[in-house]
Amino acid sequence: MPGFDFSNHNRNAALHAQGVPLPKATSTGTTIVGCLFDGGVVIAADTRATSGPIVADKNCEKLHYIAPQIWCAGAGTAADTEFTTAIISSNLELHALSTGRKPRVVTCMTMLKQHLFRHQGHIGAYLVVAGVDPTGSHLFTVHAHGSTDKLPYVTMGSGSLAAMSVFETQWKNKMSRDDAVKLCADAIEAGIFNDLGSGSNVDVAVITEEKTTLMRNFITPNKRVPKQRNYRFQHGTTAVLNEKVITREEIGKYVTVHELDDDTVAATAETMDVDQ
Amino acid sequence: MQATGMLGEDGIHVDMNHLKKGEVNLGTSIMAINFKDGVILGADSRTTTGAYIANRVTDKLTQVHDTIWCCRSGSAADTQAVADIVQYHLGMYGITNNEPPSTQTAAAIFQELCYSNKDQLSAGMIIAGYDHRHGGQVYSIPLGGSLHKQAYAIGGSGSTYIYGYCDSYWQENMSEAEGIQFVKGALQEAIKWDGSSGGVIRMVVLTASGAQRHLYLPDQAYKGPGKQ
Amino acid sequence: MTSIGTGYDLSNSVFSPDGRNFQVEYAVKAVENGGTAVGIKCKDGVVLALEKLVTSKLLKPGANKRIATVDRNIGIVSSGLLPDGRHFVSRARDEASQWRGLYKAPIPTSSLADRMGSYAQAYTLYSSVRPFGVTAIIAGWDSEAELPVDGQVGSGPGVGSGGKKGGSKYGGPHLYMIEPSGLYWGYYGAATGKGRQIAKSELEKLNLSEGNLSLEEGVKEAARIIYVAHDDNKDKEFELELTWISSLNGPTKGRHEEVPKELKEEAERLAKKSLEGDDDDEDEDKMEE
Repeated sequence: MPGFDFSNHNRNAALHAQGVPLPKATSTGTTIVGCLFDGGVVIAADTRATSGPIVADKNCEKLHYIAPQIWCAGAGTAADTEFTTAIISSNLELHALSTGRKPRVVTCMTMLKQHLFRHQGHIGAYLVVAGVDPTGSHLFTVHAHGSTDKLPYVTMGSGSLAAMSVFETQWKNKMSRDDAVKLCADAIEAGIFNDLGSGSNVDVAVITEEKTTLMRNFITPNKRVPKQRNYRFQHGTTAVLNEKVITREEIGKYVTVHELDDDTVAATAETMDVDQ
Repeated sequence: MQATGMLGEDGIHVDMNHLKKGEVNLGTSIMAINFKDGVILGADSRTTTGAYIANRVTDKLTQVHDTIWCCRSGSAADTQAVADIVQYHLGMYGITNNEPPSTQTAAAIFQELCYSNKDQLSAGMIIAGYDHRHGGQVYSIPLGGSLHKQAYAIGGSGSTYIYGYCDSYWQENMSEAEGIQFVKGALQEAIKWDGSSGGVIRMVVLTASGAQRHLYLPDQAYKGPGKQ
Repeated sequence: MTSIGTGYDLSNSVFSPDGRNFQVEYAVKAVENGGTAVGIKCKDGVVLALEKLVTSKLLKPGANKRIATVDRNIGIVSSGLLPDGRHFVSRARDEASQWRGLYKAPIPTSSLADRMGSYAQAYTLYSSVRPFGVTAIIAGWDSEAELPVDGQVGSGPGVGSGGKKGGSKYGGPHLYMIEPSGLYWGYYGAATGKGRQIAKSELEKLNLSEGNLSLEEGVKEAARIIYVAHDDNKDKEFELELTWISSLNGPTKGRHEEVPKELKEEAERLAKKSLEGDDDDEDEDKMEE
């Protein structure tokens, strides 16, 4: 049948009435940080994506491109950070093209906050915005409801408390590039090790007047290493007590048997009719 | 969203502290006063999300025109959005009418926004400005969106603790030094008693000679560094 | 083409090769046939006066007022096509009310003139509309007092606001004239309509730029100028319409109002007298003044 099928709506309503909860969105229970230094700005993130108690992705990317010299670290709902940064990146490039100027970090921050405020917190994007533009180096946080802060060092996400403790004890004014990168990486590691929502690796991006350096998996403190022992059972560990062979003809009395033409094609339990 | 107010037999009850889940809150102490030469705005610097301090050096004193500023309390997102819109309107006013907007104009636009969107906003604002014609003026716009012209205004969660202080120490026509001491003393008390207020004390002094910022740090017992 | 001339006068959005918009020029012609309207800016107020030509004996005297109040403190008089004038006034009222809605304060006369100038100009740009067949005179008194925001509660410190800089005067009388092209200037004295040339030369004699003329003198001069300007047109009946706006401590308390009957009659009496003087023996009558 052509046209839309709304029958799932009734199913969903019935399921909801029975108390079945909505499926959970993948959220980046996250540690993200940013830090200004003399001559630029660093942002860093962990790489764990979670769906409830499940680690959905062990090495996801939370550092988002906005413009060549403006990058964003995202926490909150993964889809929201991804699409929000993408749409602002697109609009900012069009803006840069029409003005004939390099995009500014405040412009990006303003576009993000107005977009998020318009959606009244329903877009669950918590962002660290960093960049270098003709007016200098800038670092902001943007919360899902549309509020912003401007600070020399920032942390966000579930691991922000752990990361902030690193900044509050070790941050110094006018740091060098390498010190800032080290500090940010340490802050993310604090999140990885002390926050359940954060884990895996450290991604770092350094933005200076000259260039942006994205250091994917800058630190990998959770490498998968060969097991020290083999836990596999040997063949024949379980004794075979008896054996019975059922022929196709015999089982065909109870179920339909499909012949597979090709060994590479997996068997499908159900098929669906679709409009061709 | 749940209802934030209800009508009981003994009157209307409004949940003043209602915020959307996870929203950044300016649990705040803010104030603005008239003095001999103009106005002084003051604020603490604490921004909270639940029990966490999201920013300990927040600037809650926001400029919306050359010598018109506001103090923000309530939701950070809402008050920033409102202040941004007012800043836009006042900028346009200044350009299209060849004269800077008066504090009244600013207060009127703030009120229009706060009143017409009262169901969706949690924003408590104090507007203070100086111009040669009207001198210094202080307006307060509490949660419902009404507009009050006051000799001095206090706001935010911390203000409840300093009604007594302000009432007994308030004098009209104070000097700048007396005014600064009044604001500082009041905010010190508010920070002391209100858990949602804290950090540094920021001030802006608005007179015929323009806007001047002050900063007072807790680790120097709020004595310095002073003017900026 | 010959039957329709050059064709450059058919559409608003088309220039003639020598850079003229004929539609606007024709609109000016419409104004030149209207009753004379005059505005005078005095030191303590503004006066508007109009020569309202009586087109029928069946019209009730004193009815069908042509000088309109736009906001409490602003009046507009126009000369030319009457319905165009009424639409213009209606838009001015919308502008004034829109301003009050946003800024909770009366619109300054200069801002209203600016907005109405832009509005008139927009009617010279598009082929779907024609320019206004009116020249309008806008008179206003911007309050010299500190006005509260509409709807505010309380009044600030008992001792008043601190830090005021004295010496400057704020508010006062304003007079603008807007032409069909959208062009507008601020004037000490403005005149439009059929008798504008005579009226202008009379206005020039008043030395308005010196700012010595009082409002009451202004009222009498306005009435006289309307009578003088009408003189060429003696066969037609006319009615004088007079409004004024004074300072807050003057007779109208900053509002745009009709000039009271007694003063108007006095002004008309003097106006007629000065005309008689012109016709008959000037010296004798002048001695009586």
